Amino acid sequence: MRWLRTPLLLLTSMFAVAACGGRDETEAGTRIVVTHAILGSVVTELVGDLAEVTVLVPNGTDPHDWEPSAKDIERLNDADLVVANGLGLESNLDEALQVAQEAGVPVFRATDHVEVLAGEPHDEDGHEEDAHDHDAGDPHFWTDPQAMLDVVDALATELDSIGIGGVEVAAFEAELTALDAEVRSLLAPVTDRRLVTGHESLGYFAHHYDFDLVGAVVPSLSTDADATAADLADLKRAIVDAGVTTIFTELGTPADVARAIAEETGARVVEISTHLVPQDGTYRSFMLRLASTIAAALAP
Amino acid sequence: MGSLIDPFLDNEFMVRALIAGVLVSLACAVIGTYVVLRGMAFIGDALAHGVLPGVALALLVGLPTLLGAALGAGVMIGGVGLVTKRSRLSSDSAIGLLFIGLLALGVVMVSSSDSLGTSLEAILFGEFLGVDDADLVIQAIAAAVVGLVALWSARPFLLLCFDRDQAKVMGFRADAYHRLMLVLVAGTIVVSFQTVGSLLVFGMLLAPAGVGALVARRVGVMMLWAALTGSLATYVGLLLSYHYAWAAGASVVLVAVAMFFVVLLVTSFRSRVGAHA
Repeated sequence: MRWLRTPLLLLTSMFAVAACGGRDETEAGTRIVVTHAILGSVVTELVGDLAEVTVLVPNGTDPHDWEPSAKDIERLNDADLVVANGLGLESNLDEALQVAQEAGVPVFRATDHVEVLAGEPHDEDGHEEDAHDHDAGDPHFWTDPQAMLDVVDALATELDSIGIGGVEVAAFEAELTALDAEVRSLLAPVTDRRLVTGHESLGYFAHHYDFDLVGAVVPSLSTDADATAADLADLKRAIVDAGVTTIFTELGTPADVARAIAEETGARVVEISTHLVPQDGTYRSFMLRLASTIAAALAP
Repeated sequence: MGSLIDPFLDNEFMVRALIAGVLVSLACAVIGTYVVLRGMAFIGDALAHGVLPGVALALLVGLPTLLGAALGAGVMIGGVGLVTKRSRLSSDSAIGLLFIGLLALGVVMVSSSDSLGTSLEAILFGEFLGVDDADLVIQAIAAAVVGLVALWSARPFLLLCFDRDQAKVMGFRADAYHRLMLVLVAGTIVVSFQTVGSLLVFGMLLAPAGVGALVARRVGVMMLWAALTGSLATYVGLLLSYHYAWAAGASVVLVAVAMFFVVLLVTSFRSRVGAHA
């Protein structure tokens, strides 16, 4: 489908730009458009009633499988501020974001404000050193509340500059710091600090909470890549050598492949939500659920 | 030698993928030969894409994907029949219409649902390395059924390939057998898409059968060559995926298509030499 996307997108963006030429200035309220749900939950909590927040990629949808509708592009171009993740997570929205930005919509890219981790250097056999990492950086910063705090800090300044003052940043940042401590204590009893995941989505989590990334079913920062026999054989060896007991799968993980590897190594498959905001819609419960699932699975 | 065999001895997932690939190759050798001889590649391609909305629907309502794919294929075949019967459009226009319509429907369904739990890639390219025993059983049954039906209707199928009118003269209901052949093509694609993905099964349908058509004259021998080519391509493709970290399903099809062109070069060179001699 990939080859269809660019032309389609350009087309829809052009229509959208044309359609909203006469923007309705009288409509009240500041409109903030956020690309994905986890970032959306944070922005929503931060601005409260001060602005109307819209999330583009539906919660629970793999951003790599999502394509913007014409309505989405219109929202993007009508926004007073667009909050995006950056680093290739919204690869299907790149052109549209650019068009909007050129038309004067301010775009805030969260990963511009965190210490970006590189993807895991690929395995020792030397293959695929450069193969499929998109913009050479791991986009999944939200698995680390401390990185989220950096983003919130920068976002508050940005909000101020579009005229949304009075955001209670300090309170929210205190909440994030408390959350960080809570996650840390949740993970404290875990002695087996090795992770095998669906794709390379827990880089920041592992870095911040001192876990070791043993491997991934699809060793790529994106769920777009396909499984290869070499990667699977490497992963199998790594799992057996390290005595890893759990394979954490996520949205977009090839389920059958994960199951096959689990069967062969005697590990079990546990599903985690790295891209899904829980029912109550808060970042806090997202982080707590992620940490407690991992803690429970790896409990001694 | 070790690097040619060890990957399979060490890894069950490699063995299962190999068996699945060989079973797909067997079914595709039989059906693919007819597809190539009768110029039915476009309907094959259309079926391979057309199953997408059916699969998406099955995932949404929680039915087995096999049923959804069969439904998609049924709509495809029925729709093409309807359009050619009720309009003056040729069958390739009808196929094109249904093909793009179903594909677009599939994309709309996948991208607007928030609970599909799978990706377009997984449907189109399959999970070759995640084949389980149940998949193998289904694949084996499919290969056996396809083989038996093809054997049972070998004569009318052969006549359809070379002389449709002759088939009628000899008392075969050409249309009925044409439809049976379509059902077999659809069945092969529907069953195989779970293992190698719907796009790649199409490659396995064409490339090995193409090799068979290049080197043999009798239909049975063509099928034999096709089966051998497909199985060899599976083995080599999996090894490439293992040693060079290539996407598994794509490597297999790539090898099959490459084999076709190598054989094409060799046979055209030999026929030129033969003409001079």
